[in-house]
Amino acid sequence: MKKTIDSPIPFLLAASLFLAGPATLCAADLPTVRYQGQPTNCTLEIQGTSTFHDWEMKSTLMGGWVDFPAGVSFDLSQTNLPGLKDGNLPASGTYAILVRQIQSQVSVGASVMDGVMQDAMKETNFHRIEYHVTELKLQTPHVAGQPFTFDAKGDLAIAGVTNQVAFPVTIEPLGKNAIVIRGAAKLKMTDYKVTPPAPNIVGLGIMKCGDDIKVLFNWTLLQTPPKP
Amino acid sequence: MAMMGGVELTAPGCRRSQPLQIKPTLAGAEGAASGAAEAPQPAAAAEKLTEIPPVPPVNYGVIGAGAWGRKIITTLTLLKNDSQFKNTGVVAVCDHFPSWLNRAGDLAPKAEKFDDYKKLLAKPEVQAVVVATPTHQHRDIVLDALKAGKHVYCEAPLANSIPDAKDIARAAQKAFKQVFQPGLQERSHPHRHFLWPFIRTGALGRNVLVRAQWHKKGSWAKTASTPERAAELNWRLRQATSTGLMGEACIHRLDAVTWFMGGAQLGGRPSAITGFSSLILWNDGRDVPDTVQCVFEFPDGPNAGVRFLCDATLCNSFDSEYEMYYGTESAILMQPGDESRESKAWMFKEVDATPLGWEIYARKDSFGAETGVSLVANASKQAALAPGAAAANAAPLVEPLQYALQSFTANAGAVSAAVKDYEELFGDADTPEYRAKLAEARKYSFSQFPAAGWEEGLEATVLAIKANEAALLKQRLELKSEFFEL
Repeated sequence: MKKTIDSPIPFLLAASLFLAGPATLCAADLPTVRYQGQPTNCTLEIQGTSTFHDWEMKSTLMGGWVDFPAGVSFDLSQTNLPGLKDGNLPASGTYAILVRQIQSQVSVGASVMDGVMQDAMKETNFHRIEYHVTELKLQTPHVAGQPFTFDAKGDLAIAGVTNQVAFPVTIEPLGKNAIVIRGAAKLKMTDYKVTPPAPNIVGLGIMKCGDDIKVLFNWTLLQTPPKP
Repeated sequence: MAMMGGVELTAPGCRRSQPLQIKPTLAGAEGAASGAAEAPQPAAAAEKLTEIPPVPPVNYGVIGAGAWGRKIITTLTLLKNDSQFKNTGVVAVCDHFPSWLNRAGDLAPKAEKFDDYKKLLAKPEVQAVVVATPTHQHRDIVLDALKAGKHVYCEAPLANSIPDAKDIARAAQKAFKQVFQPGLQERSHPHRHFLWPFIRTGALGRNVLVRAQWHKKGSWAKTASTPERAAELNWRLRQATSTGLMGEACIHRLDAVTWFMGGAQLGGRPSAITGFSSLILWNDGRDVPDTVQCVFEFPDGPNAGVRFLCDATLCNSFDSEYEMYYGTESAILMQPGDESRESKAWMFKEVDATPLGWEIYARKDSFGAETGVSLVANASKQAALAPGAAAANAAPLVEPLQYALQSFTANAGAVSAAVKDYEELFGDADTPEYRAKLAEARKYSFSQFPAAGWEEGLEATVLAIKANEAALLKQRLELKSEFFEL
C-alpha cells in the first residue's frame, strides 16, 4: 500500500529541528531541575556610606528560583561540574526582593531610615528588586572542597531601571537537596536613577549618602521534586 | 487626685506619634530616665524632621456604636492627623440601634452603616474591626471576625465568663496571620513603658503593698424610650451580663498592677482574692453592687506577703483613679491619663532611702505635706527654667485609647504587609517557615508599638471575673492556674 502524507506539519517540524541543530535543542528542550528559594537562612545586606557614618540595611525575605540542567550536582569533592557547556552552566532564574522588607539596622530611628530608603527607591511604583541570571561561567580550575565560583551575568531591575550587571557568585551544597548561592556586587545608586538620600536629621544636619553601595547576599534554595 | 510629694515619671524614646521623640533617639540621647537636663526643642525644629513612614493602610469597621464605640470612632478619625497614620480610616460602622448607628455615621460620614455585624464582616475592604459591644456579646463577634480574617481589637474585659474568654483567646492564638489586641490600653502607653523598668529595677526597694482605686460617682443607669431598650442598655447593672465594678471599671488597674508586679512568670499573678461588696446608693433594682473592695494575695516568691487592695465605688468621686505602689525605699503614685489629664507618676522617698543621685535635679511637686519627685522624661529643674518651657510642657493630651489604637493600627498594618509580602514570594501554605517569618514581623512591629495580646487579655479578664465573683460572694477565692490555661 502506498503511504501518503496527510499533513506536512510533522515533516516540517522534524526538518526545522534538524536544521536548528543541537544547541537549540539543549537550550529549549533539555530537562532541567528547579531549585526554589526558601524563606529561611537567607540574608541580603546593603552597605553604604554617608557624611555621618557608614550604614547597613538588611532583608531576610527573598524569593525566586533557578533552573539548572537535570543531573547537575554541586559535589565539592569533584573537580568537574557536570552539565557545563563551553565552561558555562546553563541556568535561568529570578531572584526577587521586596523593597519594604529591606530594613535599616540602626538601633533607633530605623523606621525613619526605612522610609527614606523606600522614598528614594520609589517603592510605591516599584516594590520589587529583581535579578534575572543570563550566564554562569565557572571559574577554573575548581579546587576540590571549595565552593564552585562563577562569573554571573544578568539583568538587575531597581526602581524601574534595568541594567546588565556582572559579579562573582559561589554555589555550594547544603545537605542533600539544597544549595546556597552567595554573592557580592558593587553598584551605584545613580545607575538606577536613584538619588542618594540626604535626610535632614535635627541636631545633626543633612546626612548625605554616598552613591556607591555594596550588596551581599546568601540565598538558600531547595531542589523541588520533578513535576509528574 | 489629691497631690502628695513625688518624682514625675514619663517615657523616653517611645517613638510613636510624637515627632519630637525621633530626635533623642537618632542623636543617641537617652537621658530621660536619668533626669537629663535637656532644653525642650522648639516646635519649628520638629517640623524639619524626616517623617516616620506611614504604616500600611488599615480600614476599620467599628462594631458597637454606644458612647465608647463612638469615642473609638472619633479617636480613629483623629489618628489620620498624624502623618504616620494617614492611611487609617473607618469604612464601616455597625449597631442594631438606629439612633446610635446614625450618630456613628455622623462621626464617620464616609463609612457604610450596618445593622448586622455579619454583613460588616462580609465586606472584604474591612481589614480590622473594633468590638465595642457589651461584654457578654464579645465572644460570637470576635470569633466570627477572626474567622473572616479580620484583625480584632476587643474591648476589655474579653468576656463575662471564663469559658467565653478562653474561646476568644484560643481563636486569637490560632489566627496567626492576624493581630488580636484586647482593650488594655495602659499596655500601649509610653509612660507605662517608662515606669515599668523603673519599678522592676528596684526603685521601690522591697514591695510592701499596692493600692488602687476607681472612684466615680454616677449611677451607670441609662434611660430609654422602651422598657426593652432600657433593659438592653443597662446590661452593666445585672449580674447575668456584667462583670461588675471589678470588670467594667477596674480591669485596667488589675492589669497594670499585676503587670508591674511581674506578671504570671515573675510572681505577679495573685493566688487568692477576698472580696466585699455593697449596694449603698443606687438601689434602683439592680443586682450589681455599687461599692466593691477586693484584696489580692500574691504567691510565695518575690511578692510573698504583699497584698493588693483595689476598691471601686459609684457613690463618691474623691481622688478618682490611681495606683499606689509602696516599697521599703519609696512609694510611687501612678495617675492614669484620660480625656482630661495626662498620665503622670511621682516617687515619694523614705528618709532613709538610698540616694539615686538623679532625683536631686528632678522636678518636684508638692502634695500637701509631702514632696513628690516627678517621674517624667526631661522633668529636670533646668528644663523647667528654660525659655519656652511652659509651652513645651503644655504638650497635646494624648489619651491611652489613642496610644492603644495607634499600636493596633501599626501592628495590624505591619502584619498585613508581612502576610502580603510572604505570600507574594512563597504562596499561602501554612508552613512552619511562614509562621516563623510572621512571628519575626510581629516581634519587630510589637517592639515598636507595644500592645497587649490575647495572653494579657485572658489574664486580666479571668482576674476581673474572679474578683467580681469574690466580691459578690463576699468570700476568699483561690485562683487556680487552670483558670488561666487554654
